[in-house]
Amino acid sequence: MTLAERTLPGIVVVAFILAWEAFVRVRGIAPIYLPAPSSIAVYLWRMIADGSLPVNLGITLGRVLGGFAVAAVAGVGLGVLMGMSRLVARIADPWIAALYPLPKIALIPLLLTWLGTGEAYKIVISAVTAFFPIVISAYAGIREVDRELMKAAEDLGASRRQVQLKVVLPAAVPSIFAGLHLGMGVTIILVIAAEMIGGSSTSGMGYLLMQAGQVMETEKVFADLVVLALVGALVVKLQRWIDSKVAPWAH
Amino acid sequence: MDVIVEEVTKVWPGRGGADLVALERFTHRFASRRFSCLLGPSGCGKSTLLQIVGGLEPATSGAVRVVDPARPGEARPPGADSVMVWQGLNLFPWRSVLDNVAFGLEMQGVPKRERHERSRTLIASVGLAGFEHHLPGQLSGGMRQRVALARALVLDRAVLLMDEPFAALDAQTKIVMQEELARIFDRTHKTVIFVTHAIEEAILLGDEVVVMSARPGRIKEVLAVDLPRPRTLGMVSTPAFAALFDRVFHLIREEVMTSMAQQAAALGAA
Repeated sequence: MTLAERTLPGIVVVAFILAWEAFVRVRGIAPIYLPAPSSIAVYLWRMIADGSLPVNLGITLGRVLGGFAVAAVAGVGLGVLMGMSRLVARIADPWIAALYPLPKIALIPLLLTWLGTGEAYKIVISAVTAFFPIVISAYAGIREVDRELMKAAEDLGASRRQVQLKVVLPAAVPSIFAGLHLGMGVTIILVIAAEMIGGSSTSGMGYLLMQAGQVMETEKVFADLVVLALVGALVVKLQRWIDSKVAPWAH
Repeated sequence: MDVIVEEVTKVWPGRGGADLVALERFTHRFASRRFSCLLGPSGCGKSTLLQIVGGLEPATSGAVRVVDPARPGEARPPGADSVMVWQGLNLFPWRSVLDNVAFGLEMQGVPKRERHERSRTLIASVGLAGFEHHLPGQLSGGMRQRVALARALVLDRAVLLMDEPFAALDAQTKIVMQEELARIFDRTHKTVIFVTHAIEEAILLGDEVVVMSARPGRIKEVLAVDLPRPRTLGMVSTPAFAALFDRVFHLIREEVMTSMAQQAAALGAA
Protein backbone atom coordinates (compact mmCIF):
# COMPACT_ATOMS: atom_id res chain seq x y z
CA MET A 1 0.00 0.00 0.00
CA THR A 2 1.26 3.43 -0.86
CA LEU A 3 1.21 6.29 1.64
CA ALA A 4 -1.75 7.84 -0.17
CA GLU A 5 -3.71 4.60 -0.05
CA ARG A 6 -3.10 4.34 3.67
CA THR A 7 -3.84 7.91 4.71
CA LEU A 8 -6.27 9.36 2.17
CA PRO A 9 -9.42 7.49 3.29
CA GLY A 10 -9.06 8.90 6.81
CA ILE A 11 -8.22 12.37 5.53
CA VAL A 12 -11.32 12.38 3.33
CA VAL A 13 -13.56 11.49 6.30
CA VAL A 14 -12.08 14.25 8.45
CA ALA A 15 -12.31 16.73 5.57
CA PHE A 16 -15.95 15.83 5.00
CA ILE A 17 -16.85 16.42 8.66
CA LEU A 18 -14.93 19.72 8.73
CA ALA A 19 -16.63 20.89 5.53
CA TRP A 20 -20.02 19.97 6.96
CA GLU A 21 -19.29 21.89 10.17
CA ALA A 22 -18.08 24.93 8.23
CA PHE A 23 -21.04 24.84 5.87
CA VAL A 24 -23.60 24.78 8.71
CA ARG A 25 -21.86 27.58 10.63
CA VAL A 26 -21.16 29.90 7.70
CA ARG A 27 -24.63 29.58 6.21
CA GLY A 28 -26.29 29.66 9.64
CA ILE A 29 -28.48 26.62 8.92
CA ALA A 30 -31.12 25.83 11.55
CA PRO A 31 -30.29 22.66 13.52
CA ILE A 32 -33.73 21.14 12.81
CA TYR A 33 -32.69 20.84 9.16
CA LEU A 34 -29.03 20.03 9.47
CA PRO A 35 -27.21 20.13 12.80
CA ALA A 36 -23.44 20.62 12.90
CA PRO A 37 -21.29 17.54 13.58
CA SER A 38 -20.10 19.12 16.82
CA SER A 39 -23.63 19.41 18.20
CA ILE A 40 -24.46 15.88 17.02
CA ALA A 41 -21.44 14.73 19.01
CA VAL A 42 -22.71 16.56 22.09
CA TYR A 43 -26.13 14.94 21.77
CA LEU A 44 -24.54 11.58 21.19
CA TRP A 45 -22.59 11.95 24.40
CA ARG A 46 -25.67 13.05 26.36
CA MET A 47 -27.70 10.10 25.08
CA ILE A 48 -24.95 7.73 26.08
CA ALA A 49 -24.62 9.36 29.48
CA ASP A 50 -28.34 9.32 30.28
CA GLY A 51 -28.53 5.70 29.20
CA SER A 52 -31.21 6.14 26.54
CA LEU A 53 -28.88 5.13 23.72
CA PRO A 54 -27.28 2.03 25.26
CA VAL A 55 -30.60 0.77 26.63
CA ASN A 56 -32.51 1.16 23.35
CA LEU A 57 -29.61 -0.17 21.31
CA GLY A 58 -29.49 -3.21 23.56
CA ILE A 59 -33.21 -3.79 23.13
CA THR A 60 -32.96 -3.50 19.35
CA LEU A 61 -29.98 -5.83 19.18
CA GLY A 62 -31.84 -8.35 21.34
CA ARG A 63 -34.74 -8.32 18.89
CA VAL A 64 -32.36 -8.60 15.93
CA LEU A 65 -30.66 -11.60 17.48
CA GLY A 66 -34.01 -13.20 18.29
CA GLY A 67 -35.38 -12.74 14.77
CA PHE A 68 -32.11 -13.79 13.19
CA ALA A 69 -31.81 -16.92 15.32
CA VAL A 70 -35.32 -18.06 14.38
CA ALA A 71 -34.70 -17.35 10.69
CA ALA A 72 -31.26 -19.01 10.72
CA VAL A 73 -32.42 -22.22 12.37
CA ALA A 74 -35.55 -22.53 10.24
CA GLY A 75 -33.91 -21.35 7.01
CA VAL A 76 -30.75 -23.44 7.20
CA GLY A 77 -32.74 -26.43 8.45
CA LEU A 78 -35.31 -26.34 5.66
CA GLY A 79 -32.73 -25.43 3.00
CA VAL A 80 -30.52 -28.38 3.92
CA LEU A 81 -33.52 -30.73 4.01
CA MET A 82 -34.63 -29.49 0.60
CA GLY A 83 -31.15 -30.03 -0.79
CA MET A 84 -30.97 -33.57 0.51
CA SER A 85 -34.50 -34.75 -0.20
CA ARG A 86 -36.18 -34.20 -3.53
CA LEU A 87 -39.56 -34.79 -1.92
CA VAL A 88 -39.10 -31.98 0.60
CA ALA A 89 -37.83 -29.70 -2.18
CA ARG A 90 -40.88 -30.45 -4.31
CA ILE A 91 -43.27 -29.69 -1.46
CA ALA A 92 -41.52 -26.51 -0.30
CA ASP A 93 -40.73 -25.08 -3.71
CA PRO A 94 -44.16 -23.61 -4.67
CA TRP A 95 -44.48 -21.98 -1.24
CA ILE A 96 -41.11 -20.31 -1.48
CA ALA A 97 -41.71 -19.27 -5.09
CA ALA A 98 -45.02 -17.67 -4.10
CA LEU A 99 -43.97 -16.02 -0.84
CA TYR A 100 -40.43 -14.88 -1.66
CA PRO A 101 -41.39 -11.98 -3.97
CA LEU A 102 -44.01 -10.69 -1.48
CA PRO A 103 -42.74 -7.51 0.24
CA LYS A 104 -42.68 -8.76 3.80
CA ILE A 105 -43.49 -5.36 5.35
CA ALA A 106 -46.90 -5.77 3.74
CA LEU A 107 -47.52 -8.39 6.44
CA ILE A 108 -47.23 -5.82 9.26
CA PRO A 109 -50.96 -4.98 9.50
CA LEU A 110 -51.84 -8.66 9.61
CA LEU A 111 -49.19 -9.45 12.21
CA LEU A 112 -50.31 -6.51 14.37
CA THR A 113 -53.83 -7.96 14.31
CA TRP A 114 -52.64 -11.44 15.19
CA LEU A 115 -49.82 -10.77 17.56
CA GLY A 116 -50.39 -7.24 18.88
CA THR A 117 -47.55 -4.78 19.22
CA GLY A 118 -45.31 -6.83 21.51
CA GLU A 119 -42.01 -8.57 21.03
CA ALA A 120 -43.52 -11.50 19.13
CA TYR A 121 -44.57 -9.28 16.24
CA LYS A 122 -41.14 -7.70 15.85
CA ILE A 123 -39.35 -11.02 15.95
CA VAL A 124 -41.80 -12.70 13.59
CA ILE A 125 -41.72 -9.97 10.95
CA SER A 126 -37.92 -9.87 10.91
CA ALA A 127 -37.58 -13.66 11.02
CA VAL A 128 -40.05 -14.17 8.18
CA THR A 129 -38.17 -11.69 6.03
CA ALA A 130 -34.71 -13.08 6.80
CA PHE A 131 -35.91 -16.67 6.36
CA PHE A 132 -36.14 -16.45 2.58
CA PRO A 133 -32.61 -15.44 1.58
CA ILE A 134 -31.28 -17.94 4.13
CA VAL A 135 -33.35 -20.90 2.95
CA ILE A 136 -32.71 -20.14 -0.73
CA SER A 137 -28.93 -19.87 -0.27
CA ALA A 138 -28.74 -23.04 1.82
CA TYR A 139 -30.78 -24.98 -0.72
CA ALA A 140 -28.70 -23.69 -3.65
CA GLY A 141 -25.47 -24.44 -1.76
CA ILE A 142 -26.43 -28.05 -1.16
CA ARG A 143 -27.75 -28.55 -4.69
CA GLU A 144 -24.70 -27.06 -6.36
CA VAL A 145 -22.16 -29.31 -4.66
CA ASP A 146 -19.82 -30.77 -7.28
CA ARG A 147 -21.13 -34.23 -8.29
CA GLU A 148 -17.58 -35.39 -8.97
CA LEU A 149 -16.60 -34.60 -5.40
CA MET A 150 -19.47 -36.78 -4.18
CA LYS A 151 -18.45 -39.57 -6.56
CA ALA A 152 -14.87 -39.36 -5.34
CA ALA A 153 -16.06 -39.76 -1.75
CA GLU A 154 -18.22 -42.70 -2.74
CA ASP A 155 -15.21 -44.25 -4.48
CA LEU A 156 -13.19 -43.85 -1.29
CA GLY A 157 -15.80 -45.91 0.52
CA ALA A 158 -18.23 -43.32 1.89
CA SER A 159 -21.82 -44.45 2.36
CA ARG A 160 -24.69 -42.27 1.13
CA ARG A 161 -25.08 -40.85 4.60
CA GLN A 162 -21.36 -40.19 4.95
CA VAL A 163 -21.36 -38.42 1.58
CA GLN A 164 -24.14 -36.12 2.82
CA LEU A 165 -22.53 -35.39 6.18
CA LYS A 166 -18.84 -35.34 5.24
CA VAL A 167 -18.96 -33.86 1.75
CA VAL A 168 -22.24 -32.18 0.84
CA LEU A 169 -22.74 -30.30 4.09
CA PRO A 170 -19.22 -28.86 4.44
CA ALA A 171 -19.11 -28.02 0.73
CA ALA A 172 -22.29 -25.98 1.15
CA VAL A 173 -21.00 -23.97 4.12
CA PRO A 174 -19.84 -20.89 2.14
CA SER A 175 -23.20 -20.61 0.41
CA ILE A 176 -25.05 -21.09 3.71
CA PHE A 177 -22.99 -18.30 5.27
CA ALA A 178 -23.64 -16.00 2.32
CA GLY A 179 -27.36 -16.50 3.00
CA LEU A 180 -26.87 -15.76 6.69
CA HIS A 181 -25.12 -12.48 5.80
CA LEU A 182 -28.06 -11.40 3.68
CA GLY A 183 -30.47 -12.55 6.38
CA MET A 184 -28.71 -10.52 9.08
CA GLY A 185 -28.91 -7.36 6.98
CA VAL A 186 -32.61 -7.85 6.36
CA THR A 187 -33.29 -8.61 10.04
CA ILE A 188 -31.77 -5.30 11.14
CA ILE A 189 -33.85 -3.38 8.60
CA LEU A 190 -37.09 -5.09 9.58
CA VAL A 191 -36.61 -4.74 13.35
CA ILE A 192 -35.94 -1.00 13.01
CA ALA A 193 -38.92 -0.64 10.65
CA ALA A 194 -41.18 -2.57 13.02
CA GLU A 195 -40.11 -0.33 15.90
CA MET A 196 -40.97 2.76 13.85
CA ILE A 197 -44.50 1.75 12.93
CA GLY A 198 -46.88 4.19 14.63
CA GLY A 199 -47.34 3.52 18.30
CA SER A 200 -46.31 -0.10 18.10
CA SER A 201 -43.23 0.35 20.20
CA THR A 202 -42.01 2.23 23.23
CA SER A 203 -38.40 1.14 22.97
CA GLY A 204 -35.59 0.39 20.53
CA MET A 205 -33.60 2.43 18.04
CA GLY A 206 -36.53 2.72 15.63
CA TYR A 207 -38.70 4.17 18.35
CA LEU A 208 -35.95 6.58 19.38
CA LEU A 209 -35.57 7.77 15.80
CA MET A 210 -39.28 8.24 15.31
CA GLN A 211 -39.69 10.13 18.57
CA ALA A 212 -36.77 12.44 17.92
CA GLY A 213 -38.01 13.09 14.39
CA GLN A 214 -41.52 13.95 15.54
CA VAL A 215 -40.33 16.63 17.96
CA MET A 216 -37.74 17.84 15.44
CA GLU A 217 -34.74 16.99 17.58
CA THR A 218 -32.71 16.44 14.45
CA GLU A 219 -29.47 16.19 16.44
CA LYS A 220 -30.85 13.08 18.11
CA VAL A 221 -31.94 11.66 14.77
CA PHE A 222 -28.40 12.06 13.48
CA ALA A 223 -26.90 10.62 16.64
CA ASP A 224 -29.12 7.54 16.20
CA LEU A 225 -28.10 7.21 12.56
CA VAL A 226 -24.41 7.40 13.44
CA VAL A 227 -24.85 4.64 16.00
CA LEU A 228 -26.83 2.46 13.60
CA ALA A 229 -24.22 2.89 10.87
CA LEU A 230 -21.40 1.97 13.26
CA VAL A 231 -23.26 -1.05 14.62
CA GLY A 232 -24.04 -2.20 11.06
CA ALA A 233 -20.39 -1.96 10.07
CA LEU A 234 -19.41 -3.86 13.20
CA VAL A 235 -21.89 -6.66 12.46
CA VAL A 236 -20.53 -7.05 8.92
CA LYS A 237 -16.94 -7.17 10.24
CA LEU A 238 -17.93 -9.76 12.83
CA GLN A 239 -19.61 -11.95 10.24
CA ARG A 240 -16.55 -11.80 7.97
CA TRP A 241 -14.37 -12.79 10.89
CA ILE A 242 -16.62 -15.76 11.74
CA ASP A 243 -16.53 -16.76 8.04
CA SER A 244 -12.77 -16.75 7.93
CA LYS A 245 -12.69 -18.95 11.04
CA VAL A 246 -15.36 -21.43 9.92
CA ALA A 247 -14.54 -21.71 6.20
CA PRO A 248 -11.01 -20.39 5.61
CA TRP A 249 -10.76 -22.53 2.46
CA ALA A 250 -13.49 -20.55 0.72
CA HIS A 251 -11.42 -17.34 0.58
CA MET B 1 -6.43 -58.82 -8.98
CA ASP B 2 -7.47 -59.33 -12.58
CA VAL B 3 -10.09 -56.95 -13.88
CA ILE B 4 -12.12 -58.80 -16.48
CA VAL B 5 -14.29 -56.62 -18.66
CA GLU B 6 -16.75 -58.63 -20.73
CA GLU B 7 -18.77 -57.21 -23.59
CA VAL B 8 -19.39 -53.95 -21.75
CA THR B 9 -21.67 -51.53 -23.57
CA LYS B 10 -22.64 -48.12 -22.25
CA VAL B 11 -25.42 -46.07 -23.78
CA TRP B 12 -26.13 -42.58 -22.51
CA PRO B 13 -29.78 -41.75 -23.14
CA GLY B 14 -29.99 -38.64 -25.30
CA ARG B 15 -32.71 -36.12 -25.93
CA GLY B 16 -35.31 -37.02 -28.56
CA GLY B 17 -34.27 -40.66 -28.68
CA ALA B 18 -30.79 -39.84 -29.98
CA ASP B 19 -28.92 -42.15 -27.65
CA LEU B 20 -25.17 -41.91 -27.43
CA VAL B 21 -23.25 -45.17 -27.53
CA ALA B 22 -20.13 -44.43 -25.51
CA LEU B 23 -18.77 -47.97 -25.34
CA GLU B 24 -19.62 -50.95 -27.49
CA ARG B 25 -18.89 -54.54 -26.47
CA PHE B 26 -15.60 -53.68 -24.82
CA THR B 27 -13.82 -56.84 -23.77
CA HIS B 28 -10.41 -57.02 -22.15
CA ARG B 29 -8.61 -58.64 -19.29
CA PHE B 30 -6.58 -56.16 -17.28
CA ALA B 31 -4.16 -58.62 -15.76
CA SER B 32 -2.86 -58.58 -12.21
CA ARG B 33 0.15 -56.40 -11.54
CA ARG B 34 0.12 -55.06 -15.04
CA PHE B 35 0.17 -51.39 -15.93
CA SER B 36 -2.36 -50.90 -18.74
CA CYS B 37 -2.74 -47.63 -20.55
CA LEU B 38 -6.02 -46.82 -22.28
CA LEU B 39 -5.37 -44.54 -25.20
CA GLY B 40 -7.89 -43.02 -27.55
CA PRO B 41 -9.34 -39.83 -29.00
CA SER B 42 -11.47 -37.65 -26.72
CA GLY B 43 -15.02 -38.90 -26.35
CA CYS B 44 -14.10 -42.54 -27.01
CA GLY B 45 -15.46 -43.67 -23.66
CA LYS B 46 -12.15 -44.12 -21.79
CA SER B 47 -13.32 -42.32 -18.67
CA THR B 48 -16.71 -44.03 -18.85
CA LEU B 49 -15.01 -47.42 -18.87
CA LEU B 50 -12.94 -46.43 -15.85
CA GLN B 51 -16.06 -45.40 -13.93
CA ILE B 52 -17.78 -48.68 -14.79
CA VAL B 53 -14.73 -50.66 -13.66
CA GLY B 54 -14.68 -48.58 -10.45
CA GLY B 55 -18.33 -49.43 -9.76
CA LEU B 56 -19.30 -45.77 -9.97
CA GLU B 57 -21.43 -46.12 -13.07
CA PRO B 58 -23.51 -49.11 -14.15
CA ALA B 59 -22.90 -50.72 -17.55
CA THR B 60 -25.86 -50.83 -19.92
CA SER B 61 -24.96 -54.43 -20.70
CA GLY B 62 -22.03 -56.73 -20.14
CA ALA B 63 -20.15 -57.31 -16.90
CA VAL B 64 -17.03 -56.41 -14.97
CA ARG B 65 -15.56 -59.07 -12.73
CA VAL B 66 -12.65 -58.62 -10.39
CA VAL B 67 -10.91 -61.89 -9.73
CA ASP B 68 -7.96 -62.91 -7.62
CA PRO B 69 -5.87 -65.18 -9.91
CA ALA B 70 -5.14 -67.39 -6.89
CA ARG B 71 -8.87 -67.91 -6.40
CA PRO B 72 -10.36 -67.84 -9.90
CA GLY B 73 -13.76 -69.09 -8.75
CA GLU B 74 -14.62 -66.02 -6.64
CA ALA B 75 -15.64 -62.92 -8.53
CA ARG B 76 -15.79 -59.70 -6.54
CA PRO B 77 -18.05 -56.77 -7.43
CA PRO B 78 -16.48 -53.84 -9.34
CA GLY B 79 -15.29 -51.08 -7.09
CA ALA B 80 -14.57 -53.15 -4.00
CA ASP B 81 -10.89 -53.55 -4.78
CA SER B 82 -10.22 -50.39 -6.76
CA VAL B 83 -9.67 -46.73 -6.10
CA MET B 84 -9.69 -43.83 -8.55
CA VAL B 85 -7.32 -40.91 -9.10
CA TRP B 86 -9.37 -38.27 -10.87
CA GLN B 87 -8.45 -35.91 -13.65
CA GLY B 88 -10.00 -33.08 -11.61
CA LEU B 89 -8.32 -34.44 -8.46
CA ASN B 90 -11.50 -33.88 -6.41
CA LEU B 91 -9.66 -33.10 -3.20
CA PHE B 92 -11.87 -31.86 -0.39
CA PRO B 93 -10.92 -28.17 -0.16
CA TRP B 94 -11.98 -27.81 3.49
CA ARG B 95 -9.85 -30.73 4.65
CA SER B 96 -6.15 -30.52 5.37
CA VAL B 97 -3.71 -32.68 3.43
CA LEU B 98 -3.72 -35.15 6.32
CA ASP B 99 -7.51 -35.33 6.51
CA ASN B 100 -7.82 -35.63 2.73
CA VAL B 101 -5.47 -38.58 2.69
CA ALA B 102 -7.16 -40.11 5.73
CA PHE B 103 -10.67 -39.72 4.26
CA GLY B 104 -11.05 -43.29 3.00
CA LEU B 105 -9.77 -44.77 6.28
CA GLU B 106 -12.09 -42.47 8.22
CA MET B 107 -15.08 -43.75 6.23
CA GLN B 108 -14.06 -47.31 7.10
CA GLY B 109 -14.05 -46.38 10.76
CA VAL B 110 -10.29 -46.75 11.31
CA PRO B 111 -9.45 -45.07 14.65
CA LYS B 112 -8.01 -41.58 14.41
CA ARG B 113 -4.51 -42.41 15.64
CA GLU B 114 -4.05 -45.28 13.27
CA ARG B 115 -5.45 -43.51 10.22
CA HIS B 116 -3.30 -40.46 10.88
CA GLU B 117 -0.23 -42.60 11.28
CA ARG B 118 -0.85 -44.50 8.05
CA SER B 119 -1.67 -41.27 6.21
CA ARG B 120 1.50 -39.57 7.45
CA THR B 121 3.57 -42.44 6.10
CA LEU B 122 1.94 -42.12 2.68
CA ILE B 123 2.26 -38.33 2.69
CA ALA B 124 5.96 -38.68 3.41
CA SER B 125 6.38 -41.27 0.67
CA VAL B 126 5.02 -38.85 -1.96
CA GLY B 127 7.37 -36.15 -0.67
CA LEU B 128 4.90 -33.97 1.19
CA ALA B 129 6.15 -34.38 4.76
CA GLY B 130 5.68 -31.07 6.56
CA PHE B 131 2.57 -30.13 4.58
CA GLU B 132 0.13 -32.28 6.57
CA HIS B 133 -1.81 -29.30 7.88
CA HIS B 134 -1.95 -27.27 4.70
CA LEU B 135 -5.22 -26.93 2.84
CA PRO B 136 -5.27 -28.06 -0.82
CA GLY B 137 -5.79 -24.45 -1.89
CA GLN B 138 -2.41 -23.55 -0.41
CA LEU B 139 -0.51 -26.08 -2.52
CA SER B 140 0.82 -26.03 -6.09
CA GLY B 141 -0.73 -28.19 -8.81
CA GLY B 142 1.97 -30.83 -8.56
CA MET B 143 1.63 -31.03 -4.78
CA ARG B 144 -2.14 -31.37 -5.02
CA GLN B 145 -1.55 -34.20 -7.49
CA ARG B 146 0.60 -35.95 -4.91
CA VAL B 147 -2.11 -35.57 -2.28
CA ALA B 148 -4.63 -37.18 -4.64
CA LEU B 149 -2.20 -40.03 -5.27
CA ALA B 150 -1.54 -40.54 -1.56
CA ARG B 151 -5.27 -40.46 -0.81
CA ALA B 152 -5.79 -43.34 -3.23
CA LEU B 153 -2.69 -45.33 -2.24
CA VAL B 154 -3.34 -45.22 1.50
CA LEU B 155 -6.29 -47.58 1.03
CA ASP B 156 -3.90 -50.16 -0.45
CA ARG B 157 -6.50 -51.47 -2.88
CA ALA B 158 -5.27 -53.94 -5.49
CA VAL B 159 -6.49 -51.94 -8.48
CA LEU B 160 -5.55 -48.34 -9.19
CA LEU B 161 -7.71 -46.47 -11.71
CA MET B 162 -6.20 -43.27 -13.08
CA ASP B 163 -8.16 -40.90 -15.29
CA GLU B 164 -5.68 -38.62 -17.07
CA PRO B 165 -4.22 -37.68 -13.70
CA PHE B 166 -1.38 -35.57 -15.09
CA ALA B 167 -3.28 -33.78 -17.85
CA ALA B 168 -3.46 -30.50 -15.97
CA LEU B 169 0.20 -30.37 -14.92
CA ASP B 170 2.94 -28.33 -16.55
CA ALA B 171 5.49 -30.26 -18.61
CA GLN B 172 8.24 -30.42 -15.96
CA THR B 173 5.95 -31.43 -13.11
CA LYS B 174 4.38 -34.04 -15.36
CA ILE B 175 7.74 -35.69 -16.00
CA VAL B 176 8.51 -35.81 -12.28
CA MET B 177 5.10 -37.29 -11.49
CA GLN B 178 5.38 -39.89 -14.26
CA GLU B 179 8.71 -41.08 -12.94
CA GLU B 180 7.33 -41.13 -9.43
CA LEU B 181 4.32 -43.17 -10.51
CA ALA B 182 6.61 -45.63 -12.32
CA ARG B 183 8.64 -45.94 -9.12
CA ILE B 184 5.52 -46.52 -7.00
CA PHE B 185 4.34 -49.15 -9.49
CA ASP B 186 7.67 -50.97 -9.37
CA ARG B 187 7.40 -51.06 -5.59
CA THR B 188 3.74 -51.97 -5.08
CA HIS B 189 2.81 -53.83 -8.28
CA LYS B 190 -0.81 -52.93 -8.34
CA THR B 191 -3.07 -53.53 -11.28
CA VAL B 192 -3.14 -50.13 -12.91
CA ILE B 193 -5.58 -48.89 -15.53
CA PHE B 194 -4.35 -45.54 -16.70
CA VAL B 195 -6.37 -43.39 -19.08
CA THR B 196 -4.46 -40.90 -21.19
CA HIS B 197 -4.45 -39.29 -24.60
CA ALA B 198 -0.69 -38.77 -24.61
CA ILE B 199 1.07 -41.47 -26.64
CA GLU B 200 4.46 -40.89 -25.05
CA GLU B 201 3.01 -41.16 -21.55
CA ALA B 202 1.18 -44.39 -22.42
CA ILE B 203 4.34 -46.08 -23.72
CA LEU B 204 6.59 -44.73 -20.99
CA LEU B 205 4.35 -45.99 -18.18
CA GLY B 206 2.51 -48.99 -19.55
CA ASP B 207 3.17 -52.70 -19.88
CA GLU B 208 0.51 -52.60 -22.53
CA VAL B 209 -1.23 -49.90 -24.52
CA VAL B 210 -4.88 -50.49 -25.28
CA VAL B 211 -5.73 -48.33 -28.28
CA MET B 212 -9.40 -47.48 -28.52
CA SER B 213 -11.44 -46.48 -31.53
CA ALA B 214 -13.46 -43.28 -31.87
CA ARG B 215 -17.02 -43.40 -30.57
CA PRO B 216 -18.45 -45.90 -29.97
CA GLY B 217 -15.38 -46.96 -28.03
CA ARG B 218 -14.10 -50.40 -28.93
CA ILE B 219 -10.65 -51.91 -28.72
CA LYS B 220 -8.71 -51.22 -31.87
CA GLU B 221 -5.50 -52.88 -30.91
CA VAL B 222 -3.54 -53.95 -27.85
CA LEU B 223 0.21 -53.44 -27.98
CA ALA B 224 2.62 -54.92 -25.51
CA VAL B 225 5.36 -52.57 -24.33
CA ASP B 226 8.45 -54.69 -23.69
CA LEU B 227 10.74 -51.90 -22.52
CA PRO B 228 12.67 -52.93 -19.39
CA ARG B 229 11.77 -51.68 -15.92
CA PRO B 230 12.52 -49.47 -14.10
CA ARG B 231 11.42 -47.03 -16.76
CA THR B 232 13.22 -43.76 -17.14
CA LEU B 233 12.64 -40.76 -19.29
CA GLY B 234 15.87 -41.56 -21.15
CA MET B 235 14.13 -44.46 -22.88
CA VAL B 236 12.13 -42.02 -24.97
CA SER B 237 15.11 -41.66 -27.32
CA THR B 238 15.70 -45.41 -27.87
CA PRO B 239 14.83 -47.06 -31.22
CA ALA B 240 12.43 -49.49 -29.50
CA PHE B 241 10.47 -46.59 -28.06
CA ALA B 242 10.44 -44.79 -31.39
CA ALA B 243 9.12 -47.87 -33.18
CA LEU B 244 6.29 -48.26 -30.67
CA PHE B 245 5.48 -44.57 -30.83
CA ASP B 246 5.24 -44.76 -34.59
CA ARG B 247 2.83 -47.70 -34.51
CA VAL B 248 0.58 -46.17 -31.90
CA PHE B 249 0.68 -42.82 -33.64
CA HIS B 250 -0.65 -44.26 -36.86
CA LEU B 251 -3.39 -46.20 -35.09
CA ILE B 252 -4.46 -43.14 -33.15
CA ARG B 253 -4.25 -40.77 -36.09
CA GLU B 254 -7.03 -42.57 -37.98
CA GLU B 255 -9.24 -42.53 -34.89
CA VAL B 256 -8.67 -38.88 -34.19
CA MET B 257 -9.63 -38.08 -37.79
CA THR B 258 -12.82 -40.14 -37.40
CA SER B 259 -13.57 -38.46 -34.09
CA MET B 260 -13.11 -35.00 -35.59
CA ALA B 261 -15.40 -35.86 -38.51
CA GLN B 262 -18.01 -37.05 -35.98
CA GLN B 263 -17.77 -33.81 -34.05
CA ALA B 264 -18.07 -31.75 -37.23
CA ALA B 265 -21.12 -33.77 -38.27
CA ALA B 266 -22.70 -33.29 -34.83
CA LEU B 267 -22.15 -29.53 -35.04
CA GLY B 268 -23.60 -29.46 -38.55
CA ALA B 269 -26.70 -31.32 -37.38
CA ALA B 270 -27.23 -28.96 -34.46
